[in-house]
Amino acid sequence: MGLKPVTTPDTEAATIALNIDGETVTAKEGVSLYDVISSMGKIVPAMCYHYTFDPFGSCGMCLVLQEGKKSPVRSCTAKATEGMVIRTDGEDLFAARKKAVEKHLSVHPLDCPVCDADGHCELQDMAFQHQVTNLANAKQKNIPEDTRSLVLDFNMNRCIACGECINICKDVQRIDALQFMKKGGFTQVVAKGDHALDCEFCGDCLAVCPVGAITNKFSKYVYKPWQLRKTTTTCNYCGDGCQLYVETKDTEVVRVTSPLSWKNKWGDRGDTINGHGGLCVRGRFGFQFIDSKERLKEPFIRKETGLAPTPWIEALDTTADRLKDIKSRYGSDAIAGLITARCTNEELYVFQRFMRAVLGTNNLDSSARYGHMNFVRAVHHALGINRTMNSSADVTKAKAILVVGANVTETNPVASLRVKAAIGTYNASVIVVDSMQTNLAKLASHPLMVKPGTEGAFVKGLVKSVVEQDLIDPDPAAQAPEALAALKAAAQAVSIEAVAAETGIPVETIQTVARIFAEASCAVILCGEGIVRQPGGYNHTLSLVDLAWVTGKLTKPGCGINTFTEEGNEQGAVDMGVAPEFLPGPVPYAQDEARQTFSEAWDTTLPDAQSGKSLVEIFEDCRAGKIKALYLVGENPLATLPKSFGVEEALSQLELLICQDPFLTETAHYAHVVFPACTFAEKDGTVTNQEGMVQFVRPALDPLGESALDWHIMVGLANGMGHSLPYETTQDIQADIRKVLPGYYNLGQPRPVAADPTAYLRNGYAESVGARYANGRGQESGRPYGLKLIQLIYHSGKLSTKASGLMDISPNTGTLRMSLEECERLGLAEGGRVRVTSDHGSLELSVQADVSVLPGTCAFPEHFNEPPVKDLVRVVVDPMTRVPYFKSTRVTIEKI
Amino acid sequence: MAHLEDQRETVYKVDPANPETKDLPILRTEELLLNMGPQHPATHGVLKVILDLEGERITKSTVVMGFLHRGVEKLAEYGTYHQFIPHTDRLDYVCAMYNNFAYCRAVEKLMNVTVPERAEYLRTIVAEVQRIIGHLFWLGTQALDIGAMTVFFYTFRDREILLDWFDELCGARLTTSWYRIGGVERDFTDSLESKIRDFLAYFPPKIDEYVVFLEKNRIWLARTVGVAVISAEDALGYGLSGPTLRGSGVDYDLRKYESYGAYPKCEFSVPVGKNGDTYDRYWIRIEEMRESIKIIRQCMDQMPKEGPVMAEVPSVTLPPKNRVFTNLESMIQQFKLFSQGFDAPPGEIYCGTEAHKGELGFYIVSTGGGNPYRLKIRSPSFIHMGAFDYMAKGYMIADAVTIFGSYDIVMGECDR
Amino acid sequence: MDTQKQTKRLLDAVLFREIWKAMKVTFKHMLHRPMTFQYPREKRTIPDAHRGALGLLRYDNGQERCVGCDLCEAACPSRCIKVISEEDKSLPLQRYATEFYIDITKCVFCGYCVEACPVNALAMTKMYEYSTHDKRTLLFDKQRLYEIGEQHLEDAKKYLYAHNQEHNDEESRAYRYHFPQPIGKTEGSDS
Repeated sequence: MGLKPVTTPDTEAATIALNIDGETVTAKEGVSLYDVISSMGKIVPAMCYHYTFDPFGSCGMCLVLQEGKKSPVRSCTAKATEGMVIRTDGEDLFAARKKAVEKHLSVHPLDCPVCDADGHCELQDMAFQHQVTNLANAKQKNIPEDTRSLVLDFNMNRCIACGECINICKDVQRIDALQFMKKGGFTQVVAKGDHALDCEFCGDCLAVCPVGAITNKFSKYVYKPWQLRKTTTTCNYCGDGCQLYVETKDTEVVRVTSPLSWKNKWGDRGDTINGHGGLCVRGRFGFQFIDSKERLKEPFIRKETGLAPTPWIEALDTTADRLKDIKSRYGSDAIAGLITARCTNEELYVFQRFMRAVLGTNNLDSSARYGHMNFVRAVHHALGINRTMNSSADVTKAKAILVVGANVTETNPVASLRVKAAIGTYNASVIVVDSMQTNLAKLASHPLMVKPGTEGAFVKGLVKSVVEQDLIDPDPAAQAPEALAALKAAAQAVSIEAVAAETGIPVETIQTVARIFAEASCAVILCGEGIVRQPGGYNHTLSLVDLAWVTGKLTKPGCGINTFTEEGNEQGAVDMGVAPEFLPGPVPYAQDEARQTFSEAWDTTLPDAQSGKSLVEIFEDCRAGKIKALYLVGENPLATLPKSFGVEEALSQLELLICQDPFLTETAHYAHVVFPACTFAEKDGTVTNQEGMVQFVRPALDPLGESALDWHIMVGLANGMGHSLPYETTQDIQADIRKVLPGYYNLGQPRPVAADPTAYLRNGYAESVGARYANGRGQESGRPYGLKLIQLIYHSGKLSTKASGLMDISPNTGTLRMSLEECERLGLAEGGRVRVTSDHGSLELSVQADVSVLPGTCAFPEHFNEPPVKDLVRVVVDPMTRVPYFKSTRVTIEKI
Repeated sequence: MAHLEDQRETVYKVDPANPETKDLPILRTEELLLNMGPQHPATHGVLKVILDLEGERITKSTVVMGFLHRGVEKLAEYGTYHQFIPHTDRLDYVCAMYNNFAYCRAVEKLMNVTVPERAEYLRTIVAEVQRIIGHLFWLGTQALDIGAMTVFFYTFRDREILLDWFDELCGARLTTSWYRIGGVERDFTDSLESKIRDFLAYFPPKIDEYVVFLEKNRIWLARTVGVAVISAEDALGYGLSGPTLRGSGVDYDLRKYESYGAYPKCEFSVPVGKNGDTYDRYWIRIEEMRESIKIIRQCMDQMPKEGPVMAEVPSVTLPPKNRVFTNLESMIQQFKLFSQGFDAPPGEIYCGTEAHKGELGFYIVSTGGGNPYRLKIRSPSFIHMGAFDYMAKGYMIADAVTIFGSYDIVMGECDR
Repeated sequence: MDTQKQTKRLLDAVLFREIWKAMKVTFKHMLHRPMTFQYPREKRTIPDAHRGALGLLRYDNGQERCVGCDLCEAACPSRCIKVISEEDKSLPLQRYATEFYIDITKCVFCGYCVEACPVNALAMTKMYEYSTHDKRTLLFDKQRLYEIGEQHLEDAKKYLYAHNQEHNDEESRAYRYHFPQPIGKTEGSDS
């Protein structure tokens, strides 16, 4: 039942009884009458209502009769009160509702033939249902269409002023980009200030628009709903794993729609804690890469003249022969493989089995290594779990949320809505610690802008502050007193003043924030790329564990530590054991029993426990000439890693480089074999989102051209090497996974995890904790600016740059983003040129003012390599987890 | 009917134990299995009958059907109710109008739509014209099967007049799709009315003409009288309907019993046979043509001169086109009805209509929404073929054709 | 049975009287004008309502009527129509059909597409002679359909009148407005 207007989760409202159509119903006082009626399963038409926001009451359709009142009342804005007697049906009400529809129809244009909403239009449905005919006095608004926005067109002739777009933007997205404006004699929806709409372009307004007033520019006028085939699948862009509908016409993707739509407007607002069903800009408008003209349609093999198209059989045969040859000449360890975490679980599983059982090497890694592995290793080490601890419901209902180094609204926009709901609906205290002015910080109760790279130090400061203010929970003291003592001792090494100086946050603020976090009845920690992808990520995650532990927020229900993943299936890559240190499960590779189990399951012997190279080591070995063959599935290291890391040298040393990708990547220019792979929209399988939910990916299209599913290619290669993998369908692989990982497909619910720090705290914690807090601050660079490679909301990795829609919205401007103050200080106008110099090179760039960048920092989107800003950065490798850090560095900036 | 029973007995006289035939030279006898059809000029399409023969006598016949199966019932589940009308044209493709009529009636019953009075008269007139066409077609082909070529030419000549009239009425001679849910597509024009009046004057003498050819013709009589007799009880038991049932003396006609359309306002009699043989079935069809003329004449006279031909139920029937151009609500109606169809109430409906072959019924299961959940067609041809084995037992191969010919089967309807 | 009748029956049988009676009818028809006509030298007069091949129509000013709304595709019981629509780049915000196919081999000539068309862009003509050796030419594309519409414009108009799709010429022009609606771009994009 709806939360508003008077019921908040904290104040329990009185239960009342009322009579609806002769049935007695109980409800919470103050809840909208409409919600009470719809909770009974009765559907009263309403065009301006959606369960995700407060009733608005503009359409006048939801009329019901209340006993004692002469005229019908609008049930959405009426509040349920004790003893009401309500009738929801009848001739008179039908007539009254019909009148309301007629009011909307009389100013609606005769647009059905051209309107994109035709066939999916609530006004049509209502007019049809209420049998409106022979309307007199119809007139035209003749409002010109607003086509200024990059993504959405506003045709206000069709608008019925239901306000759903405005309300969802305000109440759910909390962006508030739209408003009503009286213009030309009509109330119109315009972007704030009547400018061109420039927002996050989540498109939720488009989804809830019950008519065709808001239309999608990327599929405008090209479809009618009855032409489209709708496939429910899971978005591949980030770890949120949103469900989406890919709507296709023959072999093209026409549009992507979300479960959120005016069609499912009936629900319980309380249920939005599990997500509201919407999408973000990437999911909704970034589909063009699927049927892109640039897609590879056949395999290629390098001949004297370059990459030559080759039939599949020949390509597979040649490749398998060469792999066999390399294996026999140099041994299995001369082969390595990398796979992207955008593949499905099944593909990841087949990949690691192919590498381990067929090629006999443990040199394999996935893109989870770029950061997520820090978190996984830390929580695996400390708590014995391998993923985040909380569901989105926990996050929404938390009383305090500590967001550290996570620009969630940009990296995981839909997950960020849970934090926004926590702020807006559940009044949580949200502490945002980031070196950028994030969108979340604008809404948060405690936005803390730290200096770049000092998020980890701030966490230590918090731990210290908790110890200092004696906010320690009684539980940890009882659980492991020695560990607590060791932590207290370790915290002595940290001085809050020093932390304050380093981070730029006043001491009092640190103290306040520590108090708020520790005293909250239930609090969660969200950490993101600002922690796990920055130097020291592993240790910082462990510090977060410390913080949660001493404040008693580690194992309490509704509390915990969470992270966000960048690529669709990073969690799946970990679960499927695509890392040298893990077998599927994940269980440590070094564990003899685990290796035994798998070698029996796969009927083969597995490589040594000690063998196995991670991503960084693979490239080092390539450079050293120890690895002769590299199998890249969807990975593009040349475009990802900085030049100074020497990927180019590594690749040119190889005897065999196999690139398997939907597109011809930069790396593929060095490849000896290129296999055309499929995108997620052609795949069948599952992905695991960051919450641990296993979700289905369903094929919306047949593989484009001769491109093939990744696992088909792997099975083909295995066959070519005389080693058959027993898979014919995805279901075969799933059956195999079920066998080795019972319960992995847990019917769409995250597998329950139980974090237990006891073993960690008792064994060796006391010895190691001191070192973590002692190492203080890193060496000071002489360069004054922090350069950050940031993620944009409009992009995800390099994949999104193939989506023309996203490139239209956010093209590569090639400009360095700096704060306004900084620009003024340097005397730079928009587009002014600067020279950026780091220890590893120097570049000339134009400058763009960006309010989200703090003074003393500059930022460049990591999605673009032109100009090659990434080459200014040096790769720092985590000593523990071998995670390469290359997202930030120190630079000097001079105006030229 | 007793003598007929005896005749059937005689078939089995080939009995080696019989003392009368004992002295005859012993000939080698064996049962012969004959595949008749599916490619046979006299099987009215692609019907296959496997005949077990003893000499030329049929001892058993197995009807093999489905060569013309097109999954029409399944097709109905994938389109709107409205979209199914052209599919019904192709059931009994010689009498599309009646199929349209039967289907539209079923859907109207489901949707509870009342058809305007003038439309009811138009529907009745056209249905009776279609009945005449059907009987003419039957008469011509049945006579042809038996060997009388001339009748075929004359009946087809007159059928042609009516088909051209259909063409003028709805734009097609066979696949008419003229009926609509809630009325008809198009009103009569003056020319159509005068033409049908001309036909009413022209046709009755022509019936007498056909009769001259057949009524006394000794071959015709030999091939029809006493052939394929079925008793009233058996006919009911086999679920026969239409002239095939009435030939056996059962007075059952849905036009009287359910009295749909404008039939209750017309006076007409239902001819009923006595013997239940092929001749009676022929005679009934001739008489029905005369009755049809009566019905059409009465309808033409009684019909209101003006009036709508489509019901106006905005949630079911299409709006007039001129309103679509100018009114948003009509345009919405147009778009909703064509793209999604009307929202039928959940439920089941059966509606039978007296087509010229027999009772053509549509059984619709709706679970709500724009398309039927299941649609079953009770096609008389199919039901009648069920009685074939029983009725053909003991007759000659040559009779087989006249027997199923006397049901007036059309495989499009039979196999659906 | 009395003797007279018996005799008559006997005579009828012996003299094949029923044959003579039938022959009389047949011989009478010898004096009749032939009922048949010699196609293709002679052709039937086809009524206005006749449902022949489909054609696409233009307004009198040459503008394509079709706005690519695709309702014909939705209405088609045999799924033989395929419309691909797009925004008209030369006339912003106007929708039109870039491609329009009717697979005439699948078409059942029910006329529902014409009935569905909200702008009367489709009409059936009296054209029925388009048999060919090449089946591929029976996939009528947009160009062919407009050609048919132009060649048989009069028939097409008569068809629309005959089937109550259009009542008079005025009406076809006096829609609330033409499709697509001429709405201009917003005056000045100020950001």
